[in-house]
Amino acid sequence: MTEATHDLYKGYRGPCLEVMKRFGITVWCEVRAETTRGTFEGLLLPRSETSDDLHLVLKLGSGYNIGVRHDTVRSLEKIGYREAHYQIPEKEFPTDPVKPSVKLFGTGGTIASRLDYRTGAVIPAFSPGELYGSVPELAEICNLETEKLFGVFSENMGPEQYLRLAEEVGGAIREGYDGIVIGHGTDTMHHTAAALSFMVQRPPVPIVMVGSQRSSDRPSSDAARNLINACSTAASGPIAEVMVCMFGPTSDRYNLLHRGTRVRKMHSSYRSTFRTLGDIPLAMVQDGEITPLKHGYRPRRDDREVTVQAAFEERVTIAYYYPGMHPDMIDALVEKGYKGIVIAGTGLGHVNRRIYPALERAHAAGVHMYMTLQTLWGFVQMHVYETGREILQLGVVPLANMLPEVAYIKLGWALGVHPDEPDAVRELMTATIAGEMTEREPHDGYLIFQGGVPEVQEFLEKIWR
Amino acid sequence: MSQDLEPKQYGVRPPPELNPRTDPVLDFPDADYGELEPEDYRTLGFMSGLEVHQQLLTRSKLFCRCPAGRYVDEYDAEVLRHMRPTLSELGEYDGTALMEFKTRKEIVYQLERGSVCTYEMDDTPPFEIDGEAVRIAIEIAELLDLNLVSELHVMRKQYLDGSIPTGFQRTAMVGLTGTIPFRVPELGVNRELRIRQLSLEEDACREIADVGHYITFRTDRLGMPLTETVTEPDLANPLEVQAAGRLLARVVQATGKVRRGPGAARQDVNVSVAGGRRIEIKGVDNHRNLPRLVHVEAYRQLNLLRVRAELQNRGVDPEMLTVPETGLPWEVTPHAVDAASAVSPCEYAPIRDALEREEKVIGVRLPGFGGLLGHRTQPGVTFAREFADRIRVIACPVHRPFIIHSDLTDYGLDPRQWRALSKQLRVEQGDVMVVVWMPESDAATAVREIFIRAREALVGIPAETRQAFSDGTTGFERILPGPDRMYPDTDTPPVRIRDELVLEVREGLPETPWARESRYEALGLDPEPARRLAAAPWAELFDALAPAPGAPARRFADVLETRIPHHRRNGAIDYLPSAQRLDPLVRAVESGAIRPEAMERALDDLIDAPDRSVDKVLAPYRPGPDDDAELERAVADAAARAEALAGKPAEAVLRWAMGEVMPRFLGRVDPSRVRQRLIAALQLAGTEVAG
Repeated sequence: MTEATHDLYKGYRGPCLEVMKRFGITVWCEVRAETTRGTFEGLLLPRSETSDDLHLVLKLGSGYNIGVRHDTVRSLEKIGYREAHYQIPEKEFPTDPVKPSVKLFGTGGTIASRLDYRTGAVIPAFSPGELYGSVPELAEICNLETEKLFGVFSENMGPEQYLRLAEEVGGAIREGYDGIVIGHGTDTMHHTAAALSFMVQRPPVPIVMVGSQRSSDRPSSDAARNLINACSTAASGPIAEVMVCMFGPTSDRYNLLHRGTRVRKMHSSYRSTFRTLGDIPLAMVQDGEITPLKHGYRPRRDDREVTVQAAFEERVTIAYYYPGMHPDMIDALVEKGYKGIVIAGTGLGHVNRRIYPALERAHAAGVHMYMTLQTLWGFVQMHVYETGREILQLGVVPLANMLPEVAYIKLGWALGVHPDEPDAVRELMTATIAGEMTEREPHDGYLIFQGGVPEVQEFLEKIWR
Repeated sequence: MSQDLEPKQYGVRPPPELNPRTDPVLDFPDADYGELEPEDYRTLGFMSGLEVHQQLLTRSKLFCRCPAGRYVDEYDAEVLRHMRPTLSELGEYDGTALMEFKTRKEIVYQLERGSVCTYEMDDTPPFEIDGEAVRIAIEIAELLDLNLVSELHVMRKQYLDGSIPTGFQRTAMVGLTGTIPFRVPELGVNRELRIRQLSLEEDACREIADVGHYITFRTDRLGMPLTETVTEPDLANPLEVQAAGRLLARVVQATGKVRRGPGAARQDVNVSVAGGRRIEIKGVDNHRNLPRLVHVEAYRQLNLLRVRAELQNRGVDPEMLTVPETGLPWEVTPHAVDAASAVSPCEYAPIRDALEREEKVIGVRLPGFGGLLGHRTQPGVTFAREFADRIRVIACPVHRPFIIHSDLTDYGLDPRQWRALSKQLRVEQGDVMVVVWMPESDAATAVREIFIRAREALVGIPAETRQAFSDGTTGFERILPGPDRMYPDTDTPPVRIRDELVLEVREGLPETPWARESRYEALGLDPEPARRLAAAPWAELFDALAPAPGAPARRFADVLETRIPHHRRNGAIDYLPSAQRLDPLVRAVESGAIRPEAMERALDDLIDAPDRSVDKVLAPYRPGPDDDAELERAVADAAARAEALAGKPAEAVLRWAMGEVMPRFLGRVDPSRVRQRLIAALQLAGTEVAG
């Protein structure tokens, strides 16, 4: 099918396409459908490519959509034509010379978007004008410039994008922006945050990653609030680090700023999905006001000097250990040329004896192996039990409380920076350069409350809302 | 009335908003509910349609597996949210959306672990649509003779009032375009009622409190499946509206799969009169109040049209009521002023308190509106409340009252203060002054709303939804949303309605109310008793006993109708007697073994003495071999005792004697025979006592 005919029958194939052609109907026709289930009138909409090929979609005058099965159709009569042309209205983003300037990079997530009401398609709003149209509060915070780097979903972000993003962020800092915001899908936001934490070193200004858990076409979306708080943080916040700025509680109350190497997405759909693990968050942000919680963050500087080390070795993996794991899992990785393996071990950093020989072979083959924890909270401690001591002897290096995903990113980066210097890689991996390992875990760095406990219920009722 | 005003097929075009008649009957006199005849409503161009919401009796909610129908007063936690309008496809905010954003509400949801999960609080995407609910909705659609869709598409209908945490209601169209018989003998109605559509949707939260900028909702009801049945605007007067509401309730209840009780069925009613437009009164949860509500709304529209006519007469035009879009209104238009100095010191407590709280007191001049704010629009309600309502909902003042106007000069401010304000506002003959007081940002919103509502007065009737109050009046609820607020739910796939499912539902379809009525008429009942029986809770019992056509059926229907409510009222039974217990009685009456006039009393006995065997209860009503002898003895005995009544009118004596004798022979002896025997024994023959 040519592109043009494809558009005429957008999304329709098989029997539906035949019916449309038989009656000379295309999408955006207003039709009267005589069917075995009665007569229906509506605007023929494009069909989602992932839906079946058995139903025509009509939008009724009331705004409802319905599906009409192809084999119920006796006739289709064209009674009008109304093609949807959907465009996001642009309003010029006002600039104010006294306001800080912020650069917003887009990677493809829909931090701000508008909805095509007829098809339901979400159209990203991204240019300053579009953003101003949907979140006018931004103009009160900063002068905003935007640049779309990629158009990929979060899960498709990878090493190639990390390198480009790091270079662009470095460039923007040198250009003189007062802060950087990166719009990003939430699924792998913490991977990208870690990558930037290692690649963009000693930034003088905030680098704030932001996304949304409810898309901005929904009235209850967290997008606008996240964007407003992220822009405030970037424009005038005191913390010059790579951070994730997302909802604190599920309520519309305040955002938290999480350090890029200690943050993790912890729920598939909650607004408050991002949590700092093993430590407290850097700060709270509410209505543009930033309240630091943690001491010892890197403060904002007036210079615009920054070191960018953009490199990544892709033959690195995470091996998520499970009790029945066979040694050939590790052998296969070595055989396939993997250069680094981050093990997510059980408990204090354990794997079963059965795979020892494979670890030994991998070590002999020069594969870098590091131990992290499935428990996510706590430190690797391989001296407590004999198992741990044995594994250490096999060449597996413990990474304290570095999160498995952070360790993966860091190992890829370290191997990228020092491709042929195993000692340098090892040295880099065991040194803390962006808060990825902490010397100590505060008592309130691990808080997972259990519902139902009376004191927790009391807390929920009175405070957590 | 409107049959030929709209094509039967509706689909591409949205439902009409304006009354097809553009000639308001301005000189029609105001009348209270109950004073008008159907003909009068025709004259007024009255049109009405219903949207009936009915909760379905399912185990779970529609899009998650929380239990449906668990209502609780306690809660474990609260969540705070805001609603932000999203732009429509034209790049403009929907009117409702914009209004609700102006209100800047802090929305609090109360959560209880047993009744809500993370879906309702919008922290988890929807699960698969509840199959039980879909099936019940199809069943109702079939009863309503609707054209079923082949595929359900879940849509999002935006609601920014906070009643749904997502900001939209998930809803799906199930069927379209049907007709049902609409027969109401006592109203002389015998035609068809057109049903526009039936959708399946999730219920909203229950509002707990709405004070100032805080609104609190309980979430237990949220997400419960309900159907919305929409009629065409075919109802021509208030009693028809009520009858249609009752009819639709009976249709859904016929399935036995809908919830009953308070709040389980709620209707929105659309009303317009000639020259007016569709106004939606929301959430009326009983049929009793419906007629008065729609009558009052018809008159509200008529009076708003009168106000418009008067304003046009006076040459008021919208330009005179325009305020620049930005800035505090009292700084950018001469029609609004900071009235603090003109009104202080103030003896009127509400304003004095407001000044003490350092709130704004703003005076507004509405050119040409003099005398109109006092114009009556509803019983006991004047045009001024249209303004007050808007402000209450949109500016969210915490303290009340918050508004006065100069049509009521002996109220609020003293004459000197009115004069000072009038000077400050440069008021001219024929103007009116409005004073509002509240915190500054709310006051700015309030003043803008005053001008917006004043401009709408020139259009006539603003498109809005209204809430019903218990006194039969209504108040502004929100701007009427357009079809633009509906868009596809990207979280749920389309759901196929398979032919097999439809056939299965059709096979198990319950009898419709009208089929039931026809069946009862075929049994010999008159139309009205047939309709009452079809609607009665004991209709099933009647059917189970299946009395023979003619006299037995009529008698039994009548007995049930008079005696069951009596026993229920007295608390003698909180359930219907079983068919098994009543069967011997019905059969005995049919065969003539017990005379029909005993049926009522025998039924009472069967209910009053539930532990006695049926045989024992019925025995006294069965004729016996000694009946004749016994009757003679009883008649003689009564005649002897009647001597004490000598001198009384013959008719009274006979009535007394019947009362003495007849009960003992109920069911056994023909009353006319008892009567004859008594007349003979009392030697009353030949008197004027009729036979």
